[in-house]
Amino acid sequence: MLIRPLLFSVGLATSAATALGADASPDREISLTIYNKNIALIEHVRPISAPSGRQRIEFAGVSAQIVPETVSFVAPNVQLIEQNFDYDLLTPAKLMEKAVGSQVRLVRVNPATGAETQETAEVLSTVGGVVLRIGNRIEVLREDNLPTRVIFDKVPENLRAQPTLSVLVNAAKPVKETARLTYLSRGLDWAADYVAVFDEARSVSSFQGWITLKNVSGTSFANARTQLVAGDVNLAESEQEWWNHFQQRRNSNQRAMGTESSGRQQLGDYYVYPIKQLTTIANNQTKQVSFLDADAVKATKGYEISFYGFQSNSDPQSVESRMRFSNSKAAGMGDQLPSGVVRIYMRDARGQPQFVGEDHIGHTSAGSELALKIGDAFDVTVQPTLLATRRITRRKTEYDMSYLVRSARSSASVVTVRQFGLWRENSVIKESIPGRRVDSSSFAWDVPVPANGEAVLTFTISNGW
Amino acid sequence: MRGKSLLVLLLLAGATVRAQQIEVVSPQPDNVSVTIYRDLFALVTETRTVDLPEGPVTVSFEGVVETLLPASAVATDIGRPLAERNFDYDALTPNNLLARSIGKGVTIMRTLPGSGKVAQVRATVVAANDAGITLRTDQGNEVLHCSGLPEHLTFDEIPGDLHARPKLSIQLAAGQPGKRTIRLSYLARGFAWKAAYVAHLNNTGNRMDLTAWITLQNLTQASFRGAQVQVVAGKLHLLAEENRGTSLTGDSDDYYDESSMDEAREEARQRLASELEPKDPTLQLFSGCYALPIPPEREDRHFEEMREIIVTGFRASAAAMEMKRDAMGIVQAVREELGDYQLYRLPLPTDLNARQTKQAVFLVKPRVKVERFYRFDYDVRWDRSPERTTPESMITFENRKASGLGEPLPAGLVRAFEIHGDREVFLGEASMRDKPVNLPVELGVSKAMDLGLEIDAPSPEVEEVRELKLQDRVDVEVRAFNGKSKPVTLEFRQPIEDDSVTSNSTDLFRRKDGKLVWRLRVPANGTYVLNYRVDWPLPPMDPSN
Repeated sequence: MLIRPLLFSVGLATSAATALGADASPDREISLTIYNKNIALIEHVRPISAPSGRQRIEFAGVSAQIVPETVSFVAPNVQLIEQNFDYDLLTPAKLMEKAVGSQVRLVRVNPATGAETQETAEVLSTVGGVVLRIGNRIEVLREDNLPTRVIFDKVPENLRAQPTLSVLVNAAKPVKETARLTYLSRGLDWAADYVAVFDEARSVSSFQGWITLKNVSGTSFANARTQLVAGDVNLAESEQEWWNHFQQRRNSNQRAMGTESSGRQQLGDYYVYPIKQLTTIANNQTKQVSFLDADAVKATKGYEISFYGFQSNSDPQSVESRMRFSNSKAAGMGDQLPSGVVRIYMRDARGQPQFVGEDHIGHTSAGSELALKIGDAFDVTVQPTLLATRRITRRKTEYDMSYLVRSARSSASVVTVRQFGLWRENSVIKESIPGRRVDSSSFAWDVPVPANGEAVLTFTISNGW
Repeated sequence: MRGKSLLVLLLLAGATVRAQQIEVVSPQPDNVSVTIYRDLFALVTETRTVDLPEGPVTVSFEGVVETLLPASAVATDIGRPLAERNFDYDALTPNNLLARSIGKGVTIMRTLPGSGKVAQVRATVVAANDAGITLRTDQGNEVLHCSGLPEHLTFDEIPGDLHARPKLSIQLAAGQPGKRTIRLSYLARGFAWKAAYVAHLNNTGNRMDLTAWITLQNLTQASFRGAQVQVVAGKLHLLAEENRGTSLTGDSDDYYDESSMDEAREEARQRLASELEPKDPTLQLFSGCYALPIPPEREDRHFEEMREIIVTGFRASAAAMEMKRDAMGIVQAVREELGDYQLYRLPLPTDLNARQTKQAVFLVKPRVKVERFYRFDYDVRWDRSPERTTPESMITFENRKASGLGEPLPAGLVRAFEIHGDREVFLGEASMRDKPVNLPVELGVSKAMDLGLEIDAPSPEVEEVRELKLQDRVDVEVRAFNGKSKPVTLEFRQPIEDDSVTSNSTDLFRRKDGKLVWRLRVPANGTYVLNYRVDWPLPPMDPSN
């Protein structure tokens, strides 16, 4: 059986330069569907013409991070026999190893004259040095340190310069068809990045949304039709990923879920962001495409601080500064937000935007309410003091807490103090200002604090089980 | 020589790849502003003037800082729709150059040992990886650098997607032609700043002269000429690098105290400093020859020319590094509020050079009212065994106008000096957290000398405690010994324990910040004794039981 290899270049065989030319022909297509979980579906469509019979078709230029078990090759009138993904890399040592038992040519150069002499040798061993038989003498290669070049007549077929995908097919008759190769690949990822320029005085923020596409697959894709899918595709997760998810759920900055629809294209449960024109995604490139531009979204700043127990602290703690906004239509946005990082800027005295903090958002439906954490306020602190504890019964204790709120800001502020650390039976017995129950395990008080001044919140909580 | 010709080739290659689209190159910014944060990054804001043609155009910004975070880049004031923004960093390195040349033609240059003549042989690259380069010539297949002859490769061209330096570019739609000033901003790693304080105490120890310094550092290879420089004092909410954030020290929410964060920052700073150091661009390629090793000195010579290719990118910054090392001039920074943070601006544009440390004064406050005393914190619940110990020497002050201060104080190390006779003595140092106005500041600068404490805290027998209907009792005796020739003030503090009752104290005490505080006056060359009792009553019965 004769297997003729047929080189079938599907993309950038070796470099971007050839590929740019090759992909200009209209009957070749590459499309990428990139999920924001470091995985992409890649489809190559190419014409093939092959003689009849059994043959191997090689695909150079597929993504170097291909998931080989997901490869699917479809061409009419061509029967697939097997699929191979070869990693056996061509190295000098392998080249010599594979030459054991066969002939190589030695080229020696006379250092004085530069004259070359050629000899044929048989490679006997490559373990710890190369042993050769030349005529009827046995020699170790270049033991004398004299320049000696070794020339191999051919490179073994299964040694490759790059990991290569090949399929073994059978064609009943000569074919001239369109072949379709699809597979999943790692190394292509995208996420949303947002730039918010927050104007505290006017209580508005601008929002720009960017899709950031990163290609570290080891391969460049020229003139690709690209669409991005936003949604949580289920992938078998590592423990670390699970922990990240858990943390994100716990520290959620989403305060209310939205119920508005946006005009975005949907695909099942996912949102699709197509990139309008064909685009070239080079290896190691970060590409950004704008998808959201909202000028004036209502946004306000709030101070929050949480305490998880009843304790004194001789160090005052800084309060969190948060930007609160809604992505509803009424607030000036009306768009759902794919998961990503929001970088928040505020203008300095000269009007130049300065970076003030960043926060992560999950996939957020339109109409949701968010409170993104900017950072800790330099000038607003809270110092907790446990004034007294009284054990009422063995299962119930009363805590007298005092929170000293200090502000060095030139305007009055409100600080939301949240008390956690509650057991099953809990109630507020006394409070210096009216508070509210947030959920079964926390109470909150909005404490007004004057400019350059102090305020004290005191309360007594009965806590038991 | 070769380095130069290859550079030209690179430019040509760049031009041909983008042939379909007009490319406008902005070689450097007109103005640059650098805002340095405490978390090892800076916001770089540049203005650049470009002359835009009417049609669609790619604008490439050269000379951006190599450590830039692509996701943070923002270009504004363009005046026409932006199709996409690209950051290319497939760096032009020998390894990349070879990897991209697989299947392409190269020339092998062989120097003949006797005559020194160079023989040129055309070849095709069959494979190139960490283990070696395999080439095909008319004679057959062979491996580069495995012959023992001095040989090297020359390339016909540089693949278009390899870049000598990282490149940020934007693609714009058609629009009004003409000159435009574009503002470009991005976050870049490799910058740091810290506050440091010097406190000079007077003879009587009731006043200090306080000077505060900003020490800022540029760890990158980038130099900024005539830059507007500012630093931000604030605890920003930041996400870890692995969560696509800006922080090199993990999520800021994962830190519960500032000292551990400072430690992590310092560690990351050192790591970054060595990562960003100019590297010796030695090739790692040719290790796997099957034959005997090639004598190293010969090998070195082979790489000389190759090395020049990549060195080109470093040359400019190396030259800049040597420029103006004396630019460490001292200027006083001006404070303004930025949202909930403090921003300190160096008042004049300055050169911020590669790998440079710069200092500026941001605060000078003479004769700030301070108090000096000694402090000991005693945890009565756990420290029951008799002990001999030393209190801490404290410097405290109110951060208020009335005390001669009243300025926000960013976290930093405070170094205290005292005047003894006509000599200045270093007292010690203490790290201070961010201190807003109106907050008291307490700094433990050293352990006390000639001031000792003995603490004895015996408990009665278990039967006795049970008879007293108590859970526990302890009778504390504190003996303070002063070997100094002047009386000192000692603050003895004890946290308030759940349910505990403190009584029978021989001295007055007060409650402060969840602690009981005794303020004792220990006479010169004398002792002072404090006695008190702490009782823990039995827990109440649960009526529901």
